[in-house]
Amino acid sequence: MSAARRRLLAGLLTLTTAAAVSACSGGGDEAEGDSSTLSMMVPLFGTAPDPKGEIQTAVEKLIGKKLNITWVPNAEYNEKTNVTLASDALPDVMVIQDNKGPSFVKAAEAGAFWDLTDKLDKYPNLKPKSEQTWINSKTNAKNYGIYRVRPLLRSAIVIRKDWLEKLDLEMPKTTDDLYKIAKAFTEKDPDGNGKKDTYGMILPKWPGTTFSASSPYNVMDVWFGAPNNYGMRDGKLVPEFDVPEFWEAQKYIKKFIDEGLVNPDWATLDTAKWNDPFIQGKGGIIIDVNVRAGQLFDGFKELDAETYDEKVAMAGNLSRPDGKKFSYPFTGFNGIIAVSKQHVRTEAQLDEVLKVLDKLASKEGSILVSNGIEGRNFKVEDGFAVKINDQDPQMKVINNDVEKAFIQLGMTSSVGVPGGAYEWMRPSQAEKDWLKQRDELMNLDLQTAVHDPSLPVISQTAVEKGATLNPIVTDARIKYLAGELTEEQFKAEIKRWYDSGGTQILTELQEGISKVGG
Amino acid sequence: MATDLAPPATKAARKAEKGRRPGRVPVRTALLRYRWLYLMLIPGLLYFVLFKYLPMYGLSIAFQDFVPFLGYSDSPWVGLKHFENLFTGPDFGRLLFNTLFLALLTALFVFPAPIIVALLLNELRVSVFKRYVQSLIYIPHFLSWTIVFSLTYLLFSVDFGVVASWIHSLSGGGPKVDYMAQPEWFRPLVILQLLWKTSGWGTIIYLAALAGVDPNLYEAARMDGAGRWRQFWHVTLPAIRPTIVVMAILTSGNLLDQSFEQIWLLTNSLNRSVADVFDTFVYYVGVTQGGYSYATAVGLFKGVAGVVLIFGSNWLAKRLGQRGLF
Repeated sequence: MSAARRRLLAGLLTLTTAAAVSACSGGGDEAEGDSSTLSMMVPLFGTAPDPKGEIQTAVEKLIGKKLNITWVPNAEYNEKTNVTLASDALPDVMVIQDNKGPSFVKAAEAGAFWDLTDKLDKYPNLKPKSEQTWINSKTNAKNYGIYRVRPLLRSAIVIRKDWLEKLDLEMPKTTDDLYKIAKAFTEKDPDGNGKKDTYGMILPKWPGTTFSASSPYNVMDVWFGAPNNYGMRDGKLVPEFDVPEFWEAQKYIKKFIDEGLVNPDWATLDTAKWNDPFIQGKGGIIIDVNVRAGQLFDGFKELDAETYDEKVAMAGNLSRPDGKKFSYPFTGFNGIIAVSKQHVRTEAQLDEVLKVLDKLASKEGSILVSNGIEGRNFKVEDGFAVKINDQDPQMKVINNDVEKAFIQLGMTSSVGVPGGAYEWMRPSQAEKDWLKQRDELMNLDLQTAVHDPSLPVISQTAVEKGATLNPIVTDARIKYLAGELTEEQFKAEIKRWYDSGGTQILTELQEGISKVGG
Repeated sequence: MATDLAPPATKAARKAEKGRRPGRVPVRTALLRYRWLYLMLIPGLLYFVLFKYLPMYGLSIAFQDFVPFLGYSDSPWVGLKHFENLFTGPDFGRLLFNTLFLALLTALFVFPAPIIVALLLNELRVSVFKRYVQSLIYIPHFLSWTIVFSLTYLLFSVDFGVVASWIHSLSGGGPKVDYMAQPEWFRPLVILQLLWKTSGWGTIIYLAALAGVDPNLYEAARMDGAGRWRQFWHVTLPAIRPTIVVMAILTSGNLLDQSFEQIWLLTNSLNRSVADVFDTFVYYVGVTQGGYSYATAVGLFKGVAGVVLIFGSNWLAKRLGQRGLF
């Protein structure tokens, strides 16, 4: 789409949103007397559910209110959020995906949303279950919404299981093990075709320029003991890239690249094609989120349904050469559900809305939004949900409404975190084992997780100068790994980051962190 | 154009004009006389006012610290702060150089391409073949930049690129070149993509101009003993020169508009130093970072630079003895 068309579209969106939202808010105003209708804005991954469909009716019955939901396709959700925030006609309840983004921060601080920091204790299902995630989901020390839970630790290594077995190698426990595996995958012909046409690890071009972005590089930095984004050293906040451990990690990664143990196009490979070399049998290691193993299972299944379960193995975070282990955690949430002040004006009205959300977050509500209606579209076997009759058109509608839409309202349950709901049954034993292993690894690695203390805080300088500052160190690292910068030149780039505003970011973050008390 | 359509002046009107400076008509008389023409002008005017001029009001956020929630009226005014940040910031020099350098390369290599292709097509005598080629070279125009990028990746990737390994084997081994990642290959790739995608479509307007050349001229030239080359030089080229000049002026206004998707898709950590242009920077600052005001300031600067280029090339065209646009 050209810039001009995008602008036109944005304009049109503004108009239609204004119209749509004002229509909704008109209804909301009328409804305020009996307050029997709640308006919402929620991301959508498929076709929008019918408001009179079985699932919405069941949800309305559960919460005792009518719902007026604006479903917005996920790809344009953030843009639409920005437009809606600018339109001063906000729905009562909004899913905010980027609750650290400048437009939400500014709107929230201008008073558009309820501050829920001290308000959730009364509601048994909304009360935060994880202190860490509660802190991570803060916006400048305040919670403007209820976080939508995700696994707090998702980092993992996915390895070609058949290659490991062919070369008679063990699953890795340390960073040295991983290096040896990568070396063997490159040099010992794991696919047995007599040619040296494989490589160990697959690295993609990471989108965006933010330095700390859950990339494989960040995960490896943390393994060697560097901070996750920022960390406290001797009472001072330091960035990930300015500690000795970081340099150990860089030497480790550079060894992979210099010795040709990674894909030759590691600086340019699109993340959307990350799985391809793995499935095509070119590379055998991916460091990413644990659910990627599920994608790879599915990819191999398409290729060969007989043997697909013999190709994927997963390992957790690794310990560094001296045996110490540091694990890379995730934030534990994906956006928040915020309550706008536009129609919900008094504490009593807020209480009513929170009670509704509490019901949605209960066991009953969780099952409804993540599985559907028990006995209708699914049944429970061994604690797993199994679909009933899933080729039936009516069931397809229910499953679509649940999986592509209503699951987005899940606060205490979601994909990967069953919460009160049920996990879906996977067909093969290998996959069942994998699901079990995933949870075990997560709990194990959480004990050594290195959390990012800067998450609840926002630095004004970082917002204003991010476009200039972010690429400096991010690009310098890639150039250093590619051999285009020496270590001295890389350090000079880090100094340039400090001088162009980095020092100020650190000061602002440190102030903020001391206020949060994290 | 309007004068061509004007009704013949009546005797009375001609009388009234006597004694005035020639060509001058009082506004009211003119309005009355050409009322239908002016009436027909209104929808066009409305279009420009509604969709081109009124939205310029939004440019005011370049002088504010714009917060959407506060709106245009309540966001604080900050004067030229964003422009100062831009001109004194570390990015400006690089952005300006990259943008201008790409613009220069585009003007040198991409602009003449359709003219050359059109002239070549014009010399073809087998019309079936000519039409066939014409349709084929239009096709790339309809492909999105994403597809063009994917094709480029398939051809030039260091891992499996067809062209890349072909060049590698021809040049007799040595280390493989990563065309997609090396800064020195960024601009050649951009130009190659542009040539492939736009030259075919661009021929349309020149072919139309060529079709309008009077065949008698060629015949006369032949009678005078002019060969193919002489005919081309003395008949064809002068005939399409005005078209070339107009196209040149029009293009100059867009020279600073690098195609956003094209650049953005080709950018990576290793070539960012040559790849950053104003368009990608505005997207990055405005859309991903929410710095609406700063992004608008950058965009406004680019717009002003574009206007300067248009007027500049128009002036140049007149200086060189051609008819300008205005």
